[in-house]
Amino acid sequence: MPEWGERHTTLEMIVQELQRPVRLDETFERRVMVRVRRLHAERRSRGWIAIASRITHRPGWAAALAASVVAVVTLGLLRGRPAEGERRGPAPLEPVQFVLVAPDAHSVAVVGDFNDWGLNDGALIATNHEGVWSVTAPVPAGVHRYAFLVNGKQWVADPSAPRASDDDFGMPSSALVVEDSTR
Amino acid sequence: MNRSARAVSALALAAAAWAPARAQDPRIGNRLDAPSRAALVALLDSARAQGIPVEPLMQKVNQGVAIGADGPRIVAAVRTLTREMATAHRALGTVATADEIQAAASAVHAGVPAVELGKIKKQSGLRRSLTLPFTVLADIVSRGVPVEAGVNAIRSLVGAGAKDTDINNFQRTVSGDIEKGAPPAAAAETRAKAVPAGKPDDSAPQQL
Repeated sequence: MPEWGERHTTLEMIVQELQRPVRLDETFERRVMVRVRRLHAERRSRGWIAIASRITHRPGWAAALAASVVAVVTLGLLRGRPAEGERRGPAPLEPVQFVLVAPDAHSVAVVGDFNDWGLNDGALIATNHEGVWSVTAPVPAGVHRYAFLVNGKQWVADPSAPRASDDDFGMPSSALVVEDSTR
Repeated sequence: MNRSARAVSALALAAAAWAPARAQDPRIGNRLDAPSRAALVALLDSARAQGIPVEPLMQKVNQGVAIGADGPRIVAAVRTLTREMATAHRALGTVATADEIQAAASAVHAGVPAVELGKIKKQSGLRRSLTLPFTVLADIVSRGVPVEAGVNAIRSLVGAGAKDTDINNFQRTVSGDIEKGAPPAAAAETRAKAVPAGKPDDSAPQQL
């Protein structure tokens, strides 16, 4: 869920910015001590009530700022939350063997939603053993769609797997359910 | 940087955190024309707002691009899938997993009424994943098994506590029977009775 990840990264940046120590100039300590001595002298002469009245505070601004931060962060979290049922983390990978009997094929590859349908050169290349093409690859647990790409151009559904009913693009594909072996 | 400036920069960063929610998913990329990209961004936003998993929608985009479909066709496919996943999501309720929703959407696409999927979900309880049963239901209905016969078969299997390996075997035997010329309804009804005692087949794809 990259949106969630991006939002999380940005929130971390905010936290880091707020946690970064303030760089103080060299005269800071001297100025503080001057102020403390002055306050100390005033306390002796006027008592605690007078000191309290000198402390500058703007509750309205502080409350508005706090509310703004809380609202923005909360809304960001809500908008960026994973959908109901969406995985909270990466699904475990399980080895899956894909097999296609295609004696006349020159090449067979497997493309599916687990490798972005072969975009970005991610197709799984099957090896040939007397016309029986196979490849084993780690696939995330869950439900997937895939197909065999024969000779680099012909889309073939896996005859031994359930059909994917939603072949909207006129090319057959198959459904695969990979069980999570850690459960 | 004093505290006021830091607070302002923090707010600016927070505003930046808000902005990407409306930005284009980078995976849509520039492979599609601008109107199609805009339509897909709107569909993905709509799906997120409804609590629908968006990964299957993104993969539908990738599938269309890989096949070479044009933008409008990809948008139409994603719109259909969004609608079917929303229907499935409503029928299954908030306890459904993303995989169950996707599998149920396939069954809806094949013609199974969503209300029947909801009944199976209620019958099965929370612990039993229905991802494979819904996937198999979509498959056998798309092979010609009447919806009622398919639903009854899957419901009886789930009700009997059939395991996923049994249901995988059921799918293979039913599809094999149909390919050999058996009436689809008869194949589903007959094979459903035998599943709990059946032995799982080891055909591909084989999870190792």
